[in-house]
Amino acid sequence: MKIEINNLHFTYPGEIIALSGINLSIESGEKVAIVGQNGSGKTTLVKHFNGLLLPTNGTIRIGDWDTKDHSVAELASRVGYVFQNPDEQLFNSDVKSELGFGPRNLGYDDDRTEELVEDAIELTGLDNYRDTNPYDLSPTWRKMVALGSIIALDSPIVVFDEPTTGQDAQSVEVIARIADELHSRGKTLITISHDIDFCAENFERIIAMSEGEILLDGSVLEVIAQEESLATTFVDPPQLTRLGKELGFDQTVNDQASFLGAYRLSHEQN
Amino acid sequence: MHQKLSFYVDRDSFLHHLNPLTKLTLVLTLVILSFLGLSYWLPTIIFLFIIIPLSFLGKVAQEFFNATVKLLLPVVGFLFVMQAFFHPDGTQVIFSIWIFDVTVESLSFAYLTASRILTMVASFLILLLTTHPSDLMSDLTRRGVSGNLSYVITSTLQIIPQMQVKAGTIIDAQQSRGLETTGNVFNRVKAVVPLVGPLVFGSLVEVEERAIAIEARAFTAPLKKTSLREIPDRAAERAARWIFIGVIIIAIGLRIWLL
Ligand SMILES: Nc1ncnc2c1ncn2[C@@H]1O[C@H](COP(=O)(O)OP(=O)(O)OP(=O)(O)O)[C@@H](O)[C@H]1O
Ligand SMILES: [Mg+2]
Repeated sequence: MKIEINNLHFTYPGEIIALSGINLSIESGEKVAIVGQNGSGKTTLVKHFNGLLLPTNGTIRIGDWDTKDHSVAELASRVGYVFQNPDEQLFNSDVKSELGFGPRNLGYDDDRTEELVEDAIELTGLDNYRDTNPYDLSPTWRKMVALGSIIALDSPIVVFDEPTTGQDAQSVEVIARIADELHSRGKTLITISHDIDFCAENFERIIAMSEGEILLDGSVLEVIAQEESLATTFVDPPQLTRLGKELGFDQTVNDQASFLGAYRLSHEQN
Repeated sequence: MHQKLSFYVDRDSFLHHLNPLTKLTLVLTLVILSFLGLSYWLPTIIFLFIIIPLSFLGKVAQEFFNATVKLLLPVVGFLFVMQAFFHPDGTQVIFSIWIFDVTVESLSFAYLTASRILTMVASFLILLLTTHPSDLMSDLTRRGVSGNLSYVITSTLQIIPQMQVKAGTIIDAQQSRGLETTGNVFNRVKAVVPLVGPLVFGSLVEVEERAIAIEARAFTAPLKKTSLREIPDRAAERAARWIFIGVIIIAIGLRIWLL
């Protein structure tokens, strides 16, 4: 399902201009990361995808729907949005009903709901916490519950708002694996993250935002090569990319494999 | 955070610059005058000719009317209807529904009660709209009101806006997972049920967290505390407060004398 954004402007009450003229199109099945400094408008942008915010000016279409013609609840069948702060998202008294809340609202029958919930539990590793109250879980696990509750919607587009913040290496692994799995199921995956290494290793396309505008938009390698541009929105290229540059590699590298490849190549040349 | 956690509207007006205690005294004066029962029409007069002009003076008229229409009128209207039907005595029946009579007496009593409540809440609303909660709190503490008490006062004043914000985020979360909360009455009622639990529970958690947070900043330390906020207090205001207190005393005196 295609996302098409045309000249999107958004102003919060009190004349706070958060987005000024966003043009963007995301194809079905893409894996996109959005980066940019605090307050650059990332959350504001993705809240438009499921209609939580409506454009002050401009349009946004999800497939053949203009978001302003459809309720947030209707859009939930197309776009699942994982909130930046899980505490704002969880309101059920145990993990299982939290995960089942979405599918039931979308009108799936009990069998299908059960199936979706089990799938989400397996992906997020929540097996031991089915009957736990989300409030009794650690923030790491609450984040997993929030992810699971959206995965269970089975929507063609999934948006994660900073899934890796505050997570240890192991949980970041888990999130990367979830992203891979959803991608392989053909879903469009959009993730906001301040962890550029995570973005460079796991995504295909990066959008860098700055002060309510799109600064850079392209393939991972194109974007992380723009060190100076990225610096204006306070994003450093990934560590390996910088190291590769210091070592004088000819091409930009984004992960261990490409780093090692380039390293061997430069050795053979010398 | 950008969400509004109090009624306060940041504007530059005469009322905004007044000392919080002056405004508080004024509000108390208006409330006492409305409730003393010196004259039947007094609460109405105070509302129309003092409170509404004050909302313009404080440059918060729009917010004031908004809150009055959305928040106050339904409550006051409900009160009015209840009083009109269920006030026990009264002889001049205007009309009746089933066994309940609406009489001239019950109607006039209902109007008096409603206008008093309206005037009371509306005067506090003016105070809240033009006074930053921290200003009110630090000014009260500086004048020797115990920290606990002023904390209770200010946090009570903030409960409604905080609940509103919290309810807003929960509704967003529910809609994002396909719960239809707009449209027909059935949808709306259905949406309220899952809202209550997290709202109350979330608020309790918040209270605990806040208690820990203020304790971590030495809230109960037995020392004299200084304040970061400078709150001006002019001689004219001190005089004005004495005048308000004088008005209250005279009004009470009149009331006793007239009885
Ligand atoms: N509810 C709100 N009311 C008013 N202004 C807001 C609100 N939410 C965000 N803003 C402002 O809008 C701008 C964009 O905020 P947004 O939350 O979209 O940024 P972000 O890129 O997601 O930042 P972060 O990395 O901190 O999550 C900021 O200037 C912010 O201060
Ligand atoms: Mg954000």
